[in-house]
Amino acid sequence: MPATRLRDAGGGLTLALAAVPLAFLALFFYYPLGSILAGGLTEAGGRFSLGRVARILGDPYYLRIIGFTFQQALLSTLLSVALGLPGAWLLARYEFPLKGAVRALTTVPFVLPSIIVVLGFVRFFGNNGVLNRALMQVLGLSEPPLRVLYSLQAILLAHAFYNFPIAARIVGSLWSRLPISTEEAARSLGAHGAKLFLRVTLPQLSPALLAAGALIFIFCFLSFAVVLVLGGGPRFSTLEVEVYRLAKVSLDLPAAGALALVGALLSLGFLWIYLRLASHSSFTEELSGAAGGRRLAELLARPAGVPALAYLALLALVVLAPILTVVAYSLQARSGWRAGGWSLEWYRRLAAPGGVYLGAIRNSLVFGGLTVALALPLGTLLAWWSARRRFVGAGALEAALMMPLGVSSVILGLGYLKAYQGLPWRLAGSWVAVVFAHTVVAYPFVIRAVSPVLRKLPGSLQEAARSLGAGAWQLFFRVELPLLKGALITGAAFAFGISVGEINATLMLSPPGVVTMPLAVYRLIGSYNFAGACAMGTVLMLACFLAFLAIETLGKEPRA
Amino acid sequence: MSLRLEGVKKGYPEFTIRLDLEVRPGELLTLLGPSGCGKTTSLRLVAGFLRPEAGHIRIGGQAVEGEPPHRRRIGIVFQDYALFPNLNVLDNVCFGPAVQGWERGRARTRGRELLSMVHLAGYERRRVHTLSGGERQRVALARALAPRPRLLLLDEPLSALDAKLRQSLRLEIQAVQRELAVTTVYVTHDQEEALAISDRIAVMREGRIEQLGSPEEVYRRPASLFVAGFIGQANLIPGRVLARDGRLTVLQTALGRFAAPAGGRAPAAGERRVLFFRPEAARLGRKAGNRFHGRILRREYLGSQVQAIVEAGDQRLVLSAPQGPGKEVLPAGGRVEFAVDPLACWLLPEEPASTTVG
Repeated sequence: MPATRLRDAGGGLTLALAAVPLAFLALFFYYPLGSILAGGLTEAGGRFSLGRVARILGDPYYLRIIGFTFQQALLSTLLSVALGLPGAWLLARYEFPLKGAVRALTTVPFVLPSIIVVLGFVRFFGNNGVLNRALMQVLGLSEPPLRVLYSLQAILLAHAFYNFPIAARIVGSLWSRLPISTEEAARSLGAHGAKLFLRVTLPQLSPALLAAGALIFIFCFLSFAVVLVLGGGPRFSTLEVEVYRLAKVSLDLPAAGALALVGALLSLGFLWIYLRLASHSSFTEELSGAAGGRRLAELLARPAGVPALAYLALLALVVLAPILTVVAYSLQARSGWRAGGWSLEWYRRLAAPGGVYLGAIRNSLVFGGLTVALALPLGTLLAWWSARRRFVGAGALEAALMMPLGVSSVILGLGYLKAYQGLPWRLAGSWVAVVFAHTVVAYPFVIRAVSPVLRKLPGSLQEAARSLGAGAWQLFFRVELPLLKGALITGAAFAFGISVGEINATLMLSPPGVVTMPLAVYRLIGSYNFAGACAMGTVLMLACFLAFLAIETLGKEPRA
Repeated sequence: MSLRLEGVKKGYPEFTIRLDLEVRPGELLTLLGPSGCGKTTSLRLVAGFLRPEAGHIRIGGQAVEGEPPHRRRIGIVFQDYALFPNLNVLDNVCFGPAVQGWERGRARTRGRELLSMVHLAGYERRRVHTLSGGERQRVALARALAPRPRLLLLDEPLSALDAKLRQSLRLEIQAVQRELAVTTVYVTHDQEEALAISDRIAVMREGRIEQLGSPEEVYRRPASLFVAGFIGQANLIPGRVLARDGRLTVLQTALGRFAAPAGGRAPAAGERRVLFFRPEAARLGRKAGNRFHGRILRREYLGSQVQAIVEAGDQRLVLSAPQGPGKEVLPAGGRVEFAVDPLACWLLPEEPASTTVG
């Protein structure tokens, strides 16, 4: 068993290997988070008190915000799962041309920065967006018919866009592993159609449905940029946005801390539920897809094929339309859809030497690279360490390591500000803090990518290598590392994509002169320079697309 | 309820399945063949998971090839059990009656009845994942039979189990099948299992039935070299027909002249045939009948018997003899003489047969 191997390899070495990442996390995650929580629980004099929290829980304004955070997260989750379910079915049970491409599309929202989604939505669904313009032209209207933006619908739509592929992926992965013979047994016993689905398939899918639902709920609960921009005001504000507003606009750090405490406890609770549910399905999981693939052509020939085809078309439209809109709009000569034709004008402006935009691109790439350099060894060591250990509380340790998934990076940024404000060197206001925050946000994804592969390595493999004379280091570098290569590339690509697209902590932490690509997009949207925002957004997407390409082409597990 | 396959056809890149077959009411018929011979596909055609390109499938005289699986009223037992993991044992067994709209009390009575028939009374509330492989397969059998299917189909039901369990479970399947007298098609690649359990065996090869007959016929009087080689061990000695001698035909081979009965059309003198006999038909020291002698190349002790590879002329023959206590039979390296009763021999055509015998 793997558990015994460690002792031979020398417990001191492994402990040392684990100590460095744990120290990093202690300094740059647990301590800042703790100081936020503590700050919410102390009065001005430094005395312990529940007063601040009580005031928040007694204030109808904040209660409404908490309620709305729940409401939008729940509705977004239901919508995402409902939209993802047919996709899961098609991916799991059918073979069709371009299936690889469709499956790849489900990865896109993962690496697409939220600010791009926001931008794409504004330009596609907005009053002056592609959809409304097209409808006005076709229907001969003088007013935009669809008023989607700055409403609950806009938030739900963006969250569904973002998350339904997660549902399709997690549920589809389990679905493709369900033996087809169970379904056939049910059919031979007289069940078919809805009865078959509700009695046999759905109960078997329920672990994945719950896990996907819980994860999506967390993402929507913590969603920031989407709510900040698409919600468009205090009417549709969530906990995250309110914490940000209190800390950066009202400059009321103690109140922000108390609200962050409430938010963090809630989201960590959901994370705990998710981790309990998700032990069997992970969102970076590959769809095996091979099981019982019927040809899609057979389905499309039947009456049921029409909705299936419509769904695939909708999927392509919903995923691709906002992205293509951003690209197309960035190539407009003037900031507007009217005349002028195509031009690279906005790209020329981005490339102006010494300009803020070129600096933003450089900063993002540097931060991304540094995040990979930190998060990859950090996540790999922790995954290796926790996969090898079987001890009491291993589950608690794993939950502790996954905690950043359940803490918004707005709150993390706030924690840095609070924990390190007393230092002579202003860590909290420097770009180093941005990189550290990105690392903390990204490393759980590295663990998620590496852990399943590590756990799947058969014990006999190590025993074989050991019996042939390989020491612990040789075992790792000659046997385990080559087998982990795909997972490591996936983890690195996720880390890069997350860092390059991250806006929440960056917004909280970056010093005035330091701009990243998402920040630049955000500010350009804020000044209604949409063409510029789209050009910057396209460059950002390109960076993310490279990460996505790495995941899809290089990040495959070696076949056992 | 009888099952008839009439000109059923389904094309695949490797070969085309063509089936004509009648399974009699209450009979247990086995489709036996190597993997990839089309036996499971044939079963899936009957079940309705696949549609034939031509031909009719009749259950009790009624054509069902256009019906979806859930209307065919067929019970299926799968190799991987395919139990519903979200339901307990009794709910699994009652699933069929429940979805077919039986009244609840009646369905549960029926479920308990079948569980006790497969000796799982008391297991009603158990979760499926707490059962052993053998128990799961018995639940699967009970589940398939609960809604009183017109046909029972078993697809390699014992392949996932170990040897001891396979033997006891196949007795149990046979007992339940006899008791309910349900017409059954059983798919397996295990010839011993097929010989033990079947009323009749259809040996399949590349989508066609090569021979259909009782286990004894298929074992003792194979219709082709393929059947002879697939079921058990066979000695095959090619030769040319010399003459007829009453009910026997005399064959001239490199090892001498041998007499044996021939199936089907009586062969004419000069035609090529292959002499066939089983290893256990050899009698050591016996002088009458078809006589052979040779040198023992290798000897294997198999517990109840000893098996030897004997070099006779340019042929290698296999023979087996019961192992007596304390006496060494068939010593390696020694010479051996034995004879085979002509009636235990059989003449086969040299080319693989394409016509159905039996």
